[in-house]
Amino acid sequence: MRYTIDHQPTYSTLEVELGESEELVSEAGAMAWMSDNVVLQTSARGGAIAGLKRTFLTGESFFQNTYRAEGGNGVIGLAPGQSGNIIAHDMDREELLLEKNAYLASTPDIHTDSNFQGLRGLFNEGLFVLTVSGTGTLFFNGYGDVERIDVDGSYVIDNGHAVAWEPSLQYSLTKARRIRSFLFSDQVLMRFEGRGRLWVQSRNPRSLADWVYPFRRVESKGGDDG
Amino acid sequence: MNLRIVDRGAFSWALVQIRPGESFVSESGAMFRASSNIDIDVTTRSKSTGGLLSGVRRMFAGESFFFSTYSCTDREEGEVGLAPTLQGQIASIPCDGVAGWVCAGGSYLGSTGGLNIDTEFQGLRGVFSGESLSFLNVTGAGTLLVNAFGSIEEVNVTDELTVDTGHVVAFQDSLSYTLGKAGGSWIQSFLAGEGLVLKFQGHGKLLVQSHNPDEFGKTLGPLLPERQS
Repeated sequence: MRYTIDHQPTYSTLEVELGESEELVSEAGAMAWMSDNVVLQTSARGGAIAGLKRTFLTGESFFQNTYRAEGGNGVIGLAPGQSGNIIAHDMDREELLLEKNAYLASTPDIHTDSNFQGLRGLFNEGLFVLTVSGTGTLFFNGYGDVERIDVDGSYVIDNGHAVAWEPSLQYSLTKARRIRSFLFSDQVLMRFEGRGRLWVQSRNPRSLADWVYPFRRVESKGGDDG
Repeated sequence: MNLRIVDRGAFSWALVQIRPGESFVSESGAMFRASSNIDIDVTTRSKSTGGLLSGVRRMFAGESFFFSTYSCTDREEGEVGLAPTLQGQIASIPCDGVAGWVCAGGSYLGSTGGLNIDTEFQGLRGVFSGESLSFLNVTGAGTLLVNAFGSIEEVNVTDELTVDTGHVVAFQDSLSYTLGKAGGSWIQSFLAGEGLVLKFQGHGKLLVQSHNPDEFGKTLGPLLPERQS
């Protein structure tokens, strides 16, 4: 398997060249182009339970697609739903935790599992993470540039900007300190402790959605003309 | 203090290294990463500007009501990463303490602790355009960080220049300006889809952005479900 990541960091796409009968697993919907000898096998990987957990806990697709080259080499191109960077991460019997939207693709010996973050998840909308484990190459993506931080000690990230981190890092949720006004809309921060790698994205999809909100039309009362 | 703009094209961000005793101020939501020895003090005001009232003015100015002030909690150097909401470039503006700058409300990203940030409320929304106008007056010595929607271009105004308000990022206060309309009459401006413009006069630097955030919002907004109020 060979791959190239083009157009980094803004409009990154991933192109993977599969040898005869090699496979690539991807998030459903990410395939943008493929050669005609690449065969798609959609299944709820890991069985229905794992698939349902993926859907309900993380909002990730129930299905992960497996693409297989048959009768020679094949090519598949993948494009994330949001514009931004793609990171290729080699794993050797390791684990990585991914923010729910960050998973893009992986080689077949890498497994994903949804991981409920307990009560902490309640404070923090959508803080469900995927646990990715195994051996091979994992591709993940973010909204904006994705930058690696080597944490040794502790580091603080806005929860809308965390993309992936190694399980050697523990995290807790905190709020910005010494808040002087009750009017303040809370910024939830993730405080990572320990030693390990952490990836962050330079834009926040939620901030963009909040920004667009006032531009929506106001619902008219009692009328249907919008 | 060391400010580094990490130029990643559409997704640029800024890294601020803060030494003990120094402080840096940003628009309250802009911090996305920080070393753990950074104290984040969220206030309704920056250093020496007004009280609650100026906070309220800022809210009307369309800028977030709150500023975050960052400083070190120990004797180690700390760092703060700042990310704008929209796609685009970041520029740093050196302020020499002599000439002041005027920054469009939505373009303010952050400033070193010695700068004073004050709002100058520019009236209600433009009657026809629906665009809101707000400017922050930046005085004192230090560095101002601005973000743009799209790319940033520096223009040296030497005489007169007319710029659509949605494309103005910041300008030196040596420039005088009047708010006006692009066409001959309000109706004509309205029909042409051109809103308010700023007519600059004098000598000074002006930063403009390639894209107008309001136009982007007006493209997306109607595609989304209606809001309650």
